[in-house]
Amino acid sequence: MLAAGVAGVVAIALWVLDLIPLWLYEAVLVIDFPLFVLFLGLWWMAREGEADIPFLGY
Amino acid sequence: MIQYLLFATFFGLLLLGIHRKVIARIQRRPGPPIWQEILHMFKFSFKSTWVPRTASDTLFVGVVLIAIGIWTAALFVVLAGGSLLIIFGIYMLHKIVEHGFGLSSGSPYGKFGGVRSVISAASEIPLFVSVAAIALFTKSLSISDIISYQETSGPLILAIPLSAVAMYIVIVSKMPYGPFSIVEGKELVSGYKTEHFGVWRAGLEICNGLKTYVLLMTFILVFFGGVPFGVMLLLMILIIVTLSFVCALTPMLSPFDSVTVQTLITGVMVVYVAILWWWWI
Repeated sequence: MLAAGVAGVVAIALWVLDLIPLWLYEAVLVIDFPLFVLFLGLWWMAREGEADIPFLGY
Repeated sequence: MIQYLLFATFFGLLLLGIHRKVIARIQRRPGPPIWQEILHMFKFSFKSTWVPRTASDTLFVGVVLIAIGIWTAALFVVLAGGSLLIIFGIYMLHKIVEHGFGLSSGSPYGKFGGVRSVISAASEIPLFVSVAAIALFTKSLSISDIISYQETSGPLILAIPLSAVAMYIVIVSKMPYGPFSIVEGKELVSGYKTEHFGVWRAGLEICNGLKTYVLLMTFILVFFGGVPFGVMLLLMILIIVTLSFVCALTPMLSPFDSVTVQTLITGVMVVYVAILWWWWI
């Protein structure tokens, strides 16, 4: 998750500084966004013995 | 870009929440709050997650990454005013992703969902005919060219309304609880996504949010033109409400009837485009 997050932040910084073209920034996000989201969830998820529904929804 | 990606994900999930709420109100139920799909996404992120013993590990996990990745790419293509063919290529790829979801789990419900996803490929044929009609008028399949054409010649929805209807039906076929939603029929529990729970389902929710946003945005840009951002969001909400009426008032068709109806729509569209072509030449 950390690697995916760092890669995303680096891509954003390089694009803002105009060091990489837009298409390259977008290509990094296409690969990076799903990885980051999934690893964030896996890091976040409840382990055995923990309550696993903190959001009740109502 | 990242901020737009996050906005599209959350707004897409909000649209799906509005969809559920409107369906519930039509059926005289209170229904969930409109942000329910966003809460679902967070809720699934917290749940204990593992890979079922019967599943193919790589495909089971990889297909979730691909699902989010392809719709992220689709969003960027639409924003860049790229080719309509790439968007519809990604739409076709989503079919393969649904198939992968179903088959990777090893569950019979998932497998049936995956197989139904393949047979419901009939829903894509009206899409191609719709694209042919657009190309006939605009002489280009680039979204930016289609927007430019509409600035001078008026919205395409007035010029080729049946094409808009065909593409609308394609979007109906992708909406949950719709007449063509045979891939997630209740007799299959949750269809192709039955075994994807916890974090995997959260990923699928993100994919669904992005997909809804991209499909509605494409529909608006292609048939209404380059409208201001606020108007586009308003149009998205209006379209989702009409979709909810369609989904609430029509029963889910059997797989055979679903394919038959979509094939009939394709037939009508082919005749329509042939008449347009003959009249245009």
